Amino acid sequence: MLELVHLQVLSAALFSIGLYGVLARRSAVLVLISIELMLNAVNVNLIGLGAFADRPAESRVFGQILAIFVITISAAELGLAFAIILKLFRSRGSVNTDELNLMKW
Amino acid sequence: MNASLAFLAPALPACAFFVIVLFGRWLPRGGAPVAIAATAGAFVVFVITLLGMLSDGASAHSIRWFEVQGQATFTWGTVIDPLSVVMLGLVAFVALLIQVYSWSYMREERRFGWYFAVHSLFAAAMMALVLADNLILMYLAWELVGLGSYLLIGYWWEKRSAAEAAKKAFVTTRIGDVGLLIGIILLFKATGTFSISGVISAVETSQVTQPTLNWSLILIFLGAMGKSAQVPLHVWLPDAMEGPTPVSALIHAATMVAAGVYLVARLFPIFDAGSGILPMIAVVGLLTALVGAAMALVQTDLKRVLAYSTVSHLGFMMLALGAGSVGAAMFHLLAHAFAKAALFLGAGAFTHSTHQTDIRRMTGLLRGMRLTSIAFIASALSLAGIPPLAGFFSKDEILLAILDGHLGVVFLVFALIAVVLSALYTGRLLFVLFSSRPFVPEGDKAARGREGGAKAHAEPTPGESHAVPHEAPLLLLLPILILAVLGAVAGLLAFGWTGSYSGFGAYITLGHDKGFHIEPWLTALAFLLVAVALLQTWRSYISQSDPLRSATAFLAPARRLLERKLYFDTVYQWIVDRVVVTAAQVVGLVDRAVVNDKGIEGQGILVRYAGAAMRYLQTGMVYNYALGLALGAFFVAVVWWILS
Repeated sequence: MLELVHLQVLSAALFSIGLYGVLARRSAVLVLISIELMLNAVNVNLIGLGAFADRPAESRVFGQILAIFVITISAAELGLAFAIILKLFRSRGSVNTDELNLMKW
Repeated sequence: MNASLAFLAPALPACAFFVIVLFGRWLPRGGAPVAIAATAGAFVVFVITLLGMLSDGASAHSIRWFEVQGQATFTWGTVIDPLSVVMLGLVAFVALLIQVYSWSYMREERRFGWYFAVHSLFAAAMMALVLADNLILMYLAWELVGLGSYLLIGYWWEKRSAAEAAKKAFVTTRIGDVGLLIGIILLFKATGTFSISGVISAVETSQVTQPTLNWSLILIFLGAMGKSAQVPLHVWLPDAMEGPTPVSALIHAATMVAAGVYLVARLFPIFDAGSGILPMIAVVGLLTALVGAAMALVQTDLKRVLAYSTVSHLGFMMLALGAGSVGAAMFHLLAHAFAKAALFLGAGAFTHSTHQTDIRRMTGLLRGMRLTSIAFIASALSLAGIPPLAGFFSKDEILLAILDGHLGVVFLVFALIAVVLSALYTGRLLFVLFSSRPFVPEGDKAARGREGGAKAHAEPTPGESHAVPHEAPLLLLLPILILAVLGAVAGLLAFGWTGSYSGFGAYITLGHDKGFHIEPWLTALAFLLVAVALLQTWRSYISQSDPLRSATAFLAPARRLLERKLYFDTVYQWIVDRVVVTAAQVVGLVDRAVVNDKGIEGQGILVRYAGAAMRYLQTGMVYNYALGLALGAFFVAVVWWILS
């Protein structure tokens, strides 16, 4: 039987993997993908909490509605981010975050 | 025509000051006629006030200035009584004569108009001081007098010694002024009023506790000591000779130095109520009279002899106040003012003609400047106490006050010694000044390089010492003669001539002092001492057959002591150099090292170093920021978990 805690464990695992990816990957593309992973962890959390909420049935879809918003916005954000990465690659020949350190002291 | 117009007396010269300062350059002769007209106007106001007072009696007039709700009311006001009106007339009259004199004397000066402007300011301040009906107004005028003296003494500020003398006068009197201000505030705290009559009535009804009263009186007297050049605050006065001679006449006769005596006389009922205050004043006055007269004995500069003579006579006035006689003090102030103004103006005329300031090198004055010389001699003898000149009566009245008063016989003895000393220096001054040959006593070797500098070294060249001086122009001569005549005959005021006027002392104190009378043995004794002293000076300086010469050889160390001004200046210079300057350096160091370097610049340096250290947080690596973000979120989560 599927419980809320299973979904939350899944969400936490996804979030942690995503966080690790953001911190450890060097390629900007992989960092972005990891961020998507974290967003989806949040989505799982939202849907799970929404579904198992102690509320009337018609309001249990709120979590799913919120998740759809997140997916939409993350799609738009990804489009923007990949455009920036593309420009970055064209101007510097690399998307390695180690080398993107112009914004320092 | 009444006494409420008295405020115009200070107002007119004050207006003249502003007119000359602002528009002087477009006025004829730098605006000096405006100043003279204003002072003459002040004198007319005095006459009107006097007539008003004679017909209506004493009165007071004031308008409200501002009010601190429920605390105090501040007023501008004048008090019209014999004391203030006599002083007003004295100030206006002497200032007027000195301005007329200056018109001729200062003719060649570049800042002619400025001189008259400051002269007017000074006279205005002094008249405001004598008329003031409350202590705040009086203090204001008091400080303006100080400012005026500073500007006048430093009139030749291009000369370093003049600038220094002006500074010295200002700072020395300021030491006293601080006391005066604190004393006034103490009295205000105790009585709740600044009005002089209010304070007096509060003190007379014992609303002020004795310790408070004593402290405020001591502090107020400190102010009077500064302005009236009492030992040990007298040091500014001889140096004030650096100013133009008419300025010396003004400062020494009717204004400035008279202010302290007037202050004590005005507040006399309060001083009377203090315990042990009057004897203290008497001691200070006696000391000043002795020290001033002793120092006048060894000076060789004409104006400096007169300056120390002023110190001595101010001591006599304070002594009279300390003996409890306002009348004697004010009468001596009056007699001294006329005589001393005449002496200074005469000294100016002598210097004008001979281009000498050293009394030993002036010659031929009696032949060339007969009128001025006679006026000078008469005034000097008046101050020495030769009857029937005014100084004789005023000095007698002071001695009488000591005899009748609560002071012991010791005071009388020392006062007589001071009288003898003043006769001695007067004799020395007159005989050395008017002898027909240049007079450089053999003791001059010791005096070499002291004061006068190069002048003391130079032997008199025939050209400058044998030229017969010529009589001063009329504008210089006239004020001298008028003042000398007044200084000679003012003694008549001492006696009660009519039923309503029972002598100057009784009149000016509204009957508080008894009338003047001659105590035969005291008068004879004083006169005898003066005559013997004058005879002795004649023997030592003119007849050259001094029987006391060998007997007084032991006085040589005393003479050296006096020539070094009893080390007052030396000690003060040491204090300034060692204590004041060291303290200033310490404060300056603290200011630079702590306040400036650490406090102000330190903040800037701190921010700069903090920024330099913390900028390395900005690595530019995006995953560093992400780690920070993650750790921060984790930290917040942990905190939230612990707290809930």
